[in-house]
Amino acid sequence: MIDFLLEIGFEEFPPSFLKKSANELSDRIVDLLMKQRIFHRSVRVIYTPRRMGVLILGLTRKQKPQIIEIQGPPKKLAFNENDQPTEMLQGFLKANDLTQAQITIKKIKKGEYVCGKKEVAGVNTEDILYKEVPKILETMEFPKTMIWTKGGTKFPRPIRWILALLDRRPLKFKFAGVRADRHSRPNQHFSFKPIRLEKPREYINFLRHGGVVVDPNERRKLIVKRMKKAIEKTAGKALYTKEMIEEINCTTEYPEAVVVEFDEKYLELPEEVLLTVLKAQGDLIWLKPTNKFVCIFSAKKKALQNVKKGYMLVVGSKLYDALFYFQNDLKQGMDSMVEQTRRMMWLKGLGSLYDKAARLRDFSDFFEQVPDLDIGTLKRAASLCKADLLSGMIREKDFTSLQGIMGGYYARARGEDEAVVAAIKEHYLPVFAGDAMPSTREGVVLSICDKIDNIVGAFLSGNRPSGSSDPLAVRRNGYAAVSLIDANSLDISFFDAVKALLKLYNKDIEQGILFEFINERSTRFLLDKKYRYDEINAVLAYWRGDIVDARMRCAALKQMRGKTEFTKLVIGQKRVRNILKGQKKTGDVKVELLEKPAEKTLYQKGYAIAEKLEPMVEQQNYSEALRLLLEMRTDIDKFFDDVMVMCDDIPLRNNRLALVSYINDLFLRYADLSQIVIEGEKN
Amino acid sequence: MRKVYTFENLILDLSKFWQKKGCLLYQPYNSEVGAGTFNPATFIRVLDNKPWNVCYVEICKRPRDGRYAENPLRFQQFYQLQVIMQPAPGEIQRFFLESLESVGFKLKEHEVRFVEGDWDAPTLGAWGLGWEVWLDGLEICQFTYFQQAGGLDLEEIPVELSFGLERIAMLLQGVKSVFDLKWNHTQTWGDVYRQNEIEFSKYNFTAADAKFLVSLFNQFEAEATRLFEQGLVLPGYDCTIKCSHIFNVLEARGTISISERAKMIARVRALANHAAMLYKQKISEQNEMQKGTE
Repeated sequence: MIDFLLEIGFEEFPPSFLKKSANELSDRIVDLLMKQRIFHRSVRVIYTPRRMGVLILGLTRKQKPQIIEIQGPPKKLAFNENDQPTEMLQGFLKANDLTQAQITIKKIKKGEYVCGKKEVAGVNTEDILYKEVPKILETMEFPKTMIWTKGGTKFPRPIRWILALLDRRPLKFKFAGVRADRHSRPNQHFSFKPIRLEKPREYINFLRHGGVVVDPNERRKLIVKRMKKAIEKTAGKALYTKEMIEEINCTTEYPEAVVVEFDEKYLELPEEVLLTVLKAQGDLIWLKPTNKFVCIFSAKKKALQNVKKGYMLVVGSKLYDALFYFQNDLKQGMDSMVEQTRRMMWLKGLGSLYDKAARLRDFSDFFEQVPDLDIGTLKRAASLCKADLLSGMIREKDFTSLQGIMGGYYARARGEDEAVVAAIKEHYLPVFAGDAMPSTREGVVLSICDKIDNIVGAFLSGNRPSGSSDPLAVRRNGYAAVSLIDANSLDISFFDAVKALLKLYNKDIEQGILFEFINERSTRFLLDKKYRYDEINAVLAYWRGDIVDARMRCAALKQMRGKTEFTKLVIGQKRVRNILKGQKKTGDVKVELLEKPAEKTLYQKGYAIAEKLEPMVEQQNYSEALRLLLEMRTDIDKFFDDVMVMCDDIPLRNNRLALVSYINDLFLRYADLSQIVIEGEKN
Repeated sequence: MRKVYTFENLILDLSKFWQKKGCLLYQPYNSEVGAGTFNPATFIRVLDNKPWNVCYVEICKRPRDGRYAENPLRFQQFYQLQVIMQPAPGEIQRFFLESLESVGFKLKEHEVRFVEGDWDAPTLGAWGLGWEVWLDGLEICQFTYFQQAGGLDLEEIPVELSFGLERIAMLLQGVKSVFDLKWNHTQTWGDVYRQNEIEFSKYNFTAADAKFLVSLFNQFEAEATRLFEQGLVLPGYDCTIKCSHIFNVLEARGTISISERAKMIARVRALANHAAMLYKQKISEQNEMQKGTE
């Protein structure tokens, strides 16, 4: 049994994908060992900001031997009538380095054949690792890479050393211009002197002496332990998340913790501002509600006093700025900000931010029917919601992410109603996929108004998305608007909303491209809700832009899907579509021209169904609507079996087409079922 | 008591360190720039694909960062020590840390943190990957491996170090405000620059004549284009730098909207890209001619 240690050393790796990359490297090496039949006892993933690798204990020295079978000539040709080996067999044995004792006769489909069996000794683990590890490194994938020498290897950051030790022997392969060897490097705060390893098992301890806790799990625990120790005698609750701890874990080799103070006057700042400053300054952990925070640093304990002084200075300066802006903003007041929005252009040709806010206010009327909505609150919030973009705080890039939130504070200072404050605060939500939704009705609707306005504005000002370019992030806006309408079960047509808004703009645009965009965003949304492409296409083919309704139709479709009856119905619809393809509308069905019983029955059935169908659709009872449509299935099939639609008699033909069209329209009240893909259809 | 390590001595010692590493000691550019990267000793030279090691102090102007001399850590003009090593030496990170030690930081007593920072200068069409370097939490340097400049992929990869000299000196002297920084043994940074900070903050935020600046921007842009057409890369680039600074003042003045801002950045970038392309073209022509005469 032998051990293997691989460590790729680099300059500080981006923390956002360090863990994922290290796991990928480890998985691929383990995968290699399995495929190559090399046994191993345990694997430890290693990563710090400056290294990643694996420590694998208890490997076999060689691959497990393998018994391979080689098919030879047919028995008839391998032996002559005296059962003696022919020349052909001898040639086969020679070519494969086999003796006659190693062959058997095997019966396969084609007949009886010679089969040679031999044991192949395993290749040395060393040879396999030497050859395969560089290949794994070469084919790793990262979100972002760079080069650091002319024409060199791409990697997230420059590779500066590689340690590859199989028991006592270094595997001296070359990768990214670096020759692998038996040396690691310590924490740079401790020393620059390389650490020479005789064998892999020394790694963890030697590196610890060099100021590096290489095992991420151990380091993570140490971070929490050090933090808890540091705050033992301090009041306040440490505000941290798992994600923050992991981010810290990816930026430290040797965690130490220190409690740092800031001036109490900064507690006057809104909590969101305080947290924004602390987060940006390296995941500092606030001890709520005190004027203290914990800083996890990655250096010698001796550095503690300097680190404390340094962070006190930096955080103090950032908070100084924040308070300066906050107080100034309060002093100038929201009315002055609103006034300034008149002079701040929003998008070229579309007026100022003031105009935008006024438009949002007027657009609010479209949402009047939304239950539990206070339209007055909504309009007030809309008028004020863009003012904070002119505040000193939001104009500073460190705090831009607080747009809306600061607006809320400034509105409260102006004496606005708490409902108005809440709506302003929330109206950018959700900012990213999976972000929180606004909690108040007015916040929801204002957010929808703003997002639809952003979309329409982008299309009107020549900033619509195409390919990978989406300068005003309208795709995100579109998705968020759809999610908001859906999550709040609002009975709103996106199409009608856009039309109402376009009226306020008093501008012309080809509405088709806007509607196409809404369809695409809605499709994306429904796909994420686990509906299939064809189900969505069927429903959106004739929809009115109401996402809640579309989702209910999809749900009914999904439920019915897979039933034999349904499949037959879809096949029927496809026939209908094919017949109607390229045909002009032929007017109403003339009852007197219905000739065959199957025609008559279908028409009567359709007529009866139509009456019941309408209320079902109106009540959005789509599973019932679909069940009703299914009732026509046998009559449709019989019609197509018995009646020749494209007959030579023109009036008869036209009347039959009119009947087919009539039935088709009934289906389209629900969805275009001909879009559903039936399994095996392509065959 | 230990004698104070003055700001001017820091500048000298750090320059000497990099001089010993083989850097040519250059000087600041004679026009307003936001960073040492704008200096042709960086922007133009990294396009060469030839060895080039250089070190210089750059006087950087960031109009938006002015605080009327009221914030101890923010000011609208500061000194950068710019180092370019092309190609980037393999031991560059160690050189960097040693340069900090050479001015008196014992690494055992401080925390040096390399914080991921994908650097890009949108007006220069330049970007690279690297870090903000934090010393005890304070950003003291940008450490970047350039990948592109003037919109062109670089072949020989240069490393750029931009030290924030005031901040380093503050940490070394243990002062909490830049204005208390000892420049030499009799004068402080505040003595030298306080009035400058106050007046330029006023200028940048309230007094600058936006109309005049917009018209200057337009004229320098037109001039740059005209000069490029005549094949005059460096004078044209000089006008580009002026556009960039004027844009920075306008931005501080707060009179350009978000979309207008994006457009102006794109206009400056187009000029910088033009300069870079023209320069590349010139050197390849020169190389051809050299081959011809050989």
